[in-house]
Amino acid sequence: MVEMENSSPMTVSTTSGGEASVSSSGNQIQAIQQPVSIAAPKKKRNLPGMPDPEAEVIALSPKTLMATNRFVCEICSKGFQRDQNLQLHRRGHNLPWKLKQRTSKEVRKKVYVCPEPSCVHNSPARALGDLTGIKKHFCRKHGEKKWKCERCSKKYAVQSDWKAHMKTCGTKEYKCDCGSLFSRRDSFITHRAFCDALAEETARSHTTAIANADTVKSGVVTSPPPPPITPSSSVLSPGLSIQSAEMPENPMRLSPPSAAAAISTTTTVATTPNSSISSTGVLAGIFASSTTLKPCHTPPPPTSSYTDMICALARSDYPSAAIEPTSLSLASSLYLSTNCSSLFPAPDQVHHRYNPSAQPAMSATALLQKAAEMGAAASSPALLRGFGLAVSSSSSPCQDTDMKLQNKAAAGFGLGLPSGDVMMGQSSLLGSKPTTLDLLGLGIGGGGGGSSTSGLSALLSSFGGGGFNVGAAAAAAYGGGRGTSPGESWEGGPDRKPHGPTMF
Amino acid sequence: FTPKDTSIHYYPSKHQSINGQILNMQSNTNRPQSSHTSTSWSSDSGEPCGTGNKWAPRLLKECARAISEKDSSKIHHLLWMLNELASPYGDFDQKLAAYFLQALFCKTTESGQRCFKTLTSVAEKSHSFDSARKLILKFQEVSPWTTFGHVASNGAILEALDGESKLHIIDISNTLCTQWPTLLEALATRTDETPHLKLTVVVTANIVRSVMKEIGQRMEKFARLMGVPFEFRVISVLNHLGELTKEGLGIQEDEAIAVNCIGALRRVEVEERGAVIQMFQSLRPKIVTIVEEEADFSSSRHDFVKCFEECLRFYTLYFEMLEESFVHTSNERLMLERECSRNIVRVLACDDINEGECERRERGSHWCERLKEAYSQVRFSDDVVDDVKALLKRYRTGWALVLPQGDDHHSSGIYLTWKEEPVVWASAWKP
Repeated sequence: MVEMENSSPMTVSTTSGGEASVSSSGNQIQAIQQPVSIAAPKKKRNLPGMPDPEAEVIALSPKTLMATNRFVCEICSKGFQRDQNLQLHRRGHNLPWKLKQRTSKEVRKKVYVCPEPSCVHNSPARALGDLTGIKKHFCRKHGEKKWKCERCSKKYAVQSDWKAHMKTCGTKEYKCDCGSLFSRRDSFITHRAFCDALAEETARSHTTAIANADTVKSGVVTSPPPPPITPSSSVLSPGLSIQSAEMPENPMRLSPPSAAAAISTTTTVATTPNSSISSTGVLAGIFASSTTLKPCHTPPPPTSSYTDMICALARSDYPSAAIEPTSLSLASSLYLSTNCSSLFPAPDQVHHRYNPSAQPAMSATALLQKAAEMGAAASSPALLRGFGLAVSSSSSPCQDTDMKLQNKAAAGFGLGLPSGDVMMGQSSLLGSKPTTLDLLGLGIGGGGGGSSTSGLSALLSSFGGGGFNVGAAAAAAYGGGRGTSPGESWEGGPDRKPHGPTMF
Repeated sequence: FTPKDTSIHYYPSKHQSINGQILNMQSNTNRPQSSHTSTSWSSDSGEPCGTGNKWAPRLLKECARAISEKDSSKIHHLLWMLNELASPYGDFDQKLAAYFLQALFCKTTESGQRCFKTLTSVAEKSHSFDSARKLILKFQEVSPWTTFGHVASNGAILEALDGESKLHIIDISNTLCTQWPTLLEALATRTDETPHLKLTVVVTANIVRSVMKEIGQRMEKFARLMGVPFEFRVISVLNHLGELTKEGLGIQEDEAIAVNCIGALRRVEVEERGAVIQMFQSLRPKIVTIVEEEADFSSSRHDFVKCFEECLRFYTLYFEMLEESFVHTSNERLMLERECSRNIVRVLACDDINEGECERRERGSHWCERLKEAYSQVRFSDDVVDDVKALLKRYRTGWALVLPQGDDHHSSGIYLTWKEEPVVWASAWKP
């Protein structure tokens, strides 16, 4: 990852795979992903869709955006995405080639708008700063989904999204609160819907929700207030598990101190040399914006915008208090992971009202799935709590727990980072190890031996119960119905049977 | 006739001895031998003793024939033999023999109705939310028998109601709402604006009714978790499905209706089926999804032997499937087998009186003929077909999806096949 500022065409080194931001005039070589070279000042990163007001706005046509290989070699017709790549290729044909460089020291930053009129990024105020970003955005939101996963039938418009998905599809496991493990998403969802863990948590949260009814934001309360559903499903990526967040039952308020703490640690994350650092950078931006917007005040409360930004499930016609808890803690786990590329339309909005057209609607489970997809979903419950659920009001009964958790969150960040991937030390934050294949959630903790024994004993008891009952009943039926051949007796039958109860 | 003629005791675990005993029986008996029996039994002697399995279908069919011929001595003999050999806890043939023997016995003694009632009440006593949930979820985990229909129907429903803001699904099934969590999740994630969903479940089996309250509560909670505005209602109609009305179901004018009918049409008395299909129409649905098991117990209902053989064919397949999908000691499998045994008694030994739970299946092509009178077919889209294929991949091998041949007007919908035998049929219709 080398920055190039010199003017000699011979000493160019290509950027590796990472996304290079190239203005449409193609006159600079720069690797944006990594921290910039010593020569140039550190690039200031704006929020996606919150462009630098000084920047030049460029509107490309849909055709341009969708085109993949615009630069074509005249000799062999091979297509390239960037002019530089074509030039280097021309070298191989012994053709004259030229690599253009930055003409001036102060290059005006370019931002791009989406040509789709109904899109929020159509307006220059919400333009995106990255050419590849706008191309991918356009493809994803307004393009045809040509790429399809074989395993789960999920469709993608951008090939790289599809490739990324294919790497993880089928490899992740889902873990329910009750301890059951699932390799299939649909059976996980179905299990989840009927799992006792769901019932219990709602019951628990219900009582405290009523107690804290006064802190529920206005416009949301129906009486009685719907109990906030705690997000109790988690996604297990290989080697890791996220224990579900046990949420404090009052609605969220981002208290500035905790948010700030989170932000400071988040920015540390942002600089780790990992792929898609953009995600955490944005995250920092979100926190920053949310704290600047509302240092603790009442309606519209900080939670709504925060929720919006994490593409919550909240719908304008639905009491969102119930939804926010879920999306918050789940979504926050996503922010810790790497390449959140497809998630990021959502954080672009920093307005309070939920704008359906702009964000992909994501459910709790979808968010979870994304977390797993991104691979290193490494948050701990403590972390999740520290993130979004810090309670500012002192009336919270869980406050002391939260403080503890927030500390843990900060510590957690510190723990995870040095290694370079966003991974938590497994031992420190996990609860009990997962039970072995307890698909029915019976909580048979003994492992393989336990489950088989219980199954067998259940079978044996059913032998005793069911068999005899049926036998007795059928015998009674027989006794009554015997009329066809009075001379023949069948009583010998049951006695002769050397094994088990019979139908008769 | 008492077995003391032979001093041999039967130990069915050794199949060689069974064949041997059959031969001995033949020689020792002083019953009048019809040529029919002697030919069928003498064929046994030609078989090597090693192949001891598959005795059950033979004997069972023999017995069914004897019953239809009213050959009482033969009937008794065969019933006795089957009784000796059968066991619901034994190997495959023993199980098959046991459950079918029960029906044959009831048929002979005309005690089918009483037996069915007893079996049902025994089952209901041990039935609870937990046991039902465990059973159905486990079954869905190991076999796509039910989930096939769910995925296909959900796909068709979502596509037909795309863009609507108020959905009302009339769920006529006994699936305990296991179809709906994935639909709720899809509603929450796929569409930009999550629509409002009203779910009215029409329950046709008594045994399901008792747990529906708990099921409803779980569904409501789950819908909240998913962020889908949701309303839930249960209606019990044990008989006369055709009497449902728009008002009775609480259908509002601004709702987009989907009628989802899983394994419910077969419970309607054969003569009433046309009326029920017409009734769906009166609800003005945008889409009607029908899922049924592929077997024909209806057209042969006046021919005992034919009906018996079809029953035997279908349930042999089903039992095999259960055996290969579950572990050997599975309690769930036992429960499912028992449920089959009740159905077998119902089909073979009960008259079709108006008590609901008729269980006379029809083949997909027959249903098509009925449905085509009121509806036009909706093809499952490529996406839905892909989803179903992806579903089948997640299970053990042996399952496949088969599209009907060509574009003939006879059949539509898709079939789930198990070892290349079609077992479940799923289809979608619109008025």
